[in-house]
Amino acid sequence: MSLYKNLHRWFHQFASPKYFYDISHTISRWTVIICIVCFVCGLYGGLVLAPADYQQGESFRIMYVHVPAAWMSLFVYMVMAISGGIGLIWHIKLADIVARSSAPIGASFTFLALATGAIWGKPMWGTWWVWDARLTSELILLFLYLGYIALQSAFEDRRVAARAGAILALVGTVNIPIIHYSVEWWSTLHQGPTITKLDKPSIHVSMLIPLLFMVLAFKTFYITSLLIRVRTEILEYEYNTSWVKQLLGNHNNVTN
Amino acid sequence: MSKLNVKNLECIRRDNILFQGLNFSLKEGDLLQINGVNGSGKSSLLQLCVGLIQATEGEITWNDENISSSRYQFQSEITYFGHTNGVKAGLTSLENMKVMHALSGSRAKIDYSLILKQIGLSGMEDVLLSRMSAGQKRRVGLTRIFMATSKLWLLDEPFNALDKSGKKIIEQLIVKHCSSGGMVIFATHQTMEINEYPLQHIHLGNNNE
Amino acid sequence: MSEYLNIFLTILQRDMKLAFRNKAEFINPLMFFVIVIILFPLAFGSDSALLKQLTSGIIWVTALLATVLSLEAIFRTDFEDGSIEQLTLARYPLTLLVSAKITAHWIIFGLPLLLTALLTGFILSLSEQTMMALFITLLLGTPILSLIGAITVALTIGLRGGMLLSLLILPLYMPVLIFSMLAVENASIGQSIAAEIYFLAGMLVLAITLAPITTATALRIRLS
Repeated sequence: MSLYKNLHRWFHQFASPKYFYDISHTISRWTVIICIVCFVCGLYGGLVLAPADYQQGESFRIMYVHVPAAWMSLFVYMVMAISGGIGLIWHIKLADIVARSSAPIGASFTFLALATGAIWGKPMWGTWWVWDARLTSELILLFLYLGYIALQSAFEDRRVAARAGAILALVGTVNIPIIHYSVEWWSTLHQGPTITKLDKPSIHVSMLIPLLFMVLAFKTFYITSLLIRVRTEILEYEYNTSWVKQLLGNHNNVTN
Repeated sequence: MSKLNVKNLECIRRDNILFQGLNFSLKEGDLLQINGVNGSGKSSLLQLCVGLIQATEGEITWNDENISSSRYQFQSEITYFGHTNGVKAGLTSLENMKVMHALSGSRAKIDYSLILKQIGLSGMEDVLLSRMSAGQKRRVGLTRIFMATSKLWLLDEPFNALDKSGKKIIEQLIVKHCSSGGMVIFATHQTMEINEYPLQHIHLGNNNE
Repeated sequence: MSEYLNIFLTILQRDMKLAFRNKAEFINPLMFFVIVIILFPLAFGSDSALLKQLTSGIIWVTALLATVLSLEAIFRTDFEDGSIEQLTLARYPLTLLVSAKITAHWIIFGLPLLLTALLTGFILSLSEQTMMALFITLLLGTPILSLIGAITVALTIGLRGGMLLSLLILPLYMPVLIFSMLAVENASIGQSIAAEIYFLAGMLVLAITLAPITTATALRIRLS
């Protein structure tokens, strides 16, 4: 029973904006370091060490950016939907803030996945855009993100915005598998076998390890940028409270 | 014995703190008037009590149960007349009243024409609300309290569209409801002339009570 | 149980009465549908063989766009005159009342859209199998559009920027479009459309199950 109580207390303490603001400094310092290390290892391993693919030559190396970006675009949407749901059900402000702050980051990952997908496709198919199932699904995901951001910015009251956004994100979550499946079905029937999917080439360990580094790098990048955004949002949400006024007041004193 | 209890209520709308630390309770037979200038939070207080909006701080209980946790139980015992009338301009008075009656879940037989006569709209059963004046539309909305069978009434500016005699009729209706064990909270900036029944007050705006 | 049925029918009847007295709200999107379809022969030439291939697709896409236009009508006046508040506070589950409103929307707009689309297909000389597929996909699809649309319009009602609704809704409509058009294509070449129809039916069941309660939650959020 006391473990449950401790968990409960820890959860509520963690969800307090002020506490989160304080510890986020420490956390983000660590994640930045991990992020930079992983990027260096991943990029070096992927761009220099890994052997060229026998089918695609050097152009496959774009996968080291494209694949993690695509994975993150979905991962961040899930985080957005889940934290939105938590904020909706348990009225936790921090969850709302995390959801709202994740959206632009997720949209950027999606855009990056699309851009690198197009770049990857150009040497293979000769055109900048092709209606590949995965690319089309990513494009629709980008619109889901943009819609979420547009909906939240259309409300003046942040609390209502957060809850409406949570509903939209949850509806989107139900729809993402449906959209993905229907686009895949459509794609296989219309595009035929001549278009190969943007897939990882048959993966060899020396190719896989840099990829894992890149995935970790992207994840820590997300956490770092999320923390930075959340910190700013917390200040805006809580500007009425004494601790924020004191914090901002101190800064003013220092600069003067 | 039904009881509405408001504890430490805080209301923030658009980053303005309308009121904080508000406490009061209402038991059967209580008649409560909420005073305050425009923007002082009268409508918000009623909306909080009804459960339409959530308080940032504090708790509202009905019979010692939080109104959000026992929502249906609570809603079946209230009638709310809001800032907007809650009637459709595309329907006639009679059609509107029938829908109001159906939504309240009450099976009682209603004499619609009599109610319309009491509120000063006699003979207007089949007139579309879009052809009525704003005051008349508001009166059609008010007919819901004539048909109400619930214990607690929450009324937002019920006297706005009424002349002196109309005001008297509603005052009498409210008093009658309270005398037979009902509870009424109403918000208005007008001065009341209810002498024959104890009237409690809450003032919003100047002091945080 | 019959109490629930009664209130469902009462609200359904109320909304239909309101629609008949304010016909423009529902006739205008249908007019939009017809006018936009006419744009295509104007753009591509009436004899174009290309046009013949595109007809069913044009009908479906235009049906989507017309539906988006018709959706505002479900909730807008209810928000403005306080009826939504009263529905929220009624003695019946908001989900049930919202289902009645969505059903009303389908009967008032979805069904006429279905008939108009079929008429258009007939006039444009679509083959019998294509017409059949068009009919079934629209029959299953238009309720899905009303249901998903209700959620989105509940979220966006009254907000500035009329494009927001379209931006949010159209990605959610895409699977319906994809499967309907796949069915129509298969039908036109004589193949079975069972798989696509099953998928549409599955989506319909999912929408009927989840959309009303989600719409009700969205309405409550908008009221606060």
